[in-house]
Amino acid sequence: MNEEEIKQEENFSFNDYWPSVGIVGTIFSLISFVVGLFFGYQQINSEPTGSFFSPIMLSGVVVCLVTAVAGLLAVWHFTREVSPKLKLGQGAIIGFLTGAVIVVISVILNELWIMLIDPEYTQKIMDSTIANIEAMDMPDSAKDDMIDAMADSMETGQSFFRQIFWGIPVTGLLNLITGLLGVKFFAEKEETF
Amino acid sequence: MLYFTVLGALICLVLISLGGGFWGAEKSIGHWTGNMFRGVCHQLPDRSFMFNDVQMAVNSRCFGIFSGLLSGWILIAAAVFLMNKKYPILWFLLLAVIIQIIDYSGNLFQLWENTNHSRAVLGWVLGLAASLAVFDQFQTDNKSTKL
Repeated sequence: MNEEEIKQEENFSFNDYWPSVGIVGTIFSLISFVVGLFFGYQQINSEPTGSFFSPIMLSGVVVCLVTAVAGLLAVWHFTREVSPKLKLGQGAIIGFLTGAVIVVISVILNELWIMLIDPEYTQKIMDSTIANIEAMDMPDSAKDDMIDAMADSMETGQSFFRQIFWGIPVTGLLNLITGLLGVKFFAEKEETF
Repeated sequence: MLYFTVLGALICLVLISLGGGFWGAEKSIGHWTGNMFRGVCHQLPDRSFMFNDVQMAVNSRCFGIFSGLLSGWILIAAAVFLMNKKYPILWFLLLAVIIQIIDYSGNLFQLWENTNHSRAVLGWVLGLAASLAVFDQFQTDNKSTKL
């Protein structure tokens, strides 16, 4: 490989990143969407147990863990398909963009589901969660606080653009960190940046 | 440049995760700080610390992870000078992940009951290990730094 080819590999454009970011981001957003729906309907169809370990809580943990790994795998994909040589900063960009793609596609899929398939989904989740909170062994005032907080959260965070606006920074940053780990694990050689 | 950008982002992440209590609000859930973490944290009041008598925007484990990420990222600056590449930092990360899984599973299957403090400490260890795992990427071959 001559010098020019090496230099070209080191200076990637966004077009080089997008296949890895798009493929991994799409796959992980689909996974998080399906996992979220699975646990969501499990929550809706379950009897209130009063346990903190409700399906919807498990969903949050699983979705968080799964989506945080996406940055790592996007970098792995990039090193396999585009170039094995990758700078730390480039891994960070891939990770952050992957997180952003996951948030955008997940929000779109959720909106489509609610618009086209099950318009009552959010309300059913809310009713089921409230029923579970009411079955919890705690003072009434604490239950009311939890229910009020959940209702507030639902009201203020449901708009399409708000979900994207609030979601991208945190998911993007977490995937940025795993993107850095991806460079550590999968990139062929350290480079200065 | 990357180091300081991520450092700034992690400081913001930790400050925002403190929730409405840090920003003069009376609540975190429904506040913009709570909205930022809705997608990544269950935000159960019983499993969250309080800050200024207001529930934090994230639960204790997430707060531990975020503060661990920040602590580790700050320590990278020292690690690039003091640690060599043979230090088993990846084993530390693997161990931190395994401990998380064991702790979460044990609590889930009611083998033991963890607390906010234990969750925060174990989360902190995981975050610390995740940040420190990339410290050698900031070292050049002659041990000069790329911060």
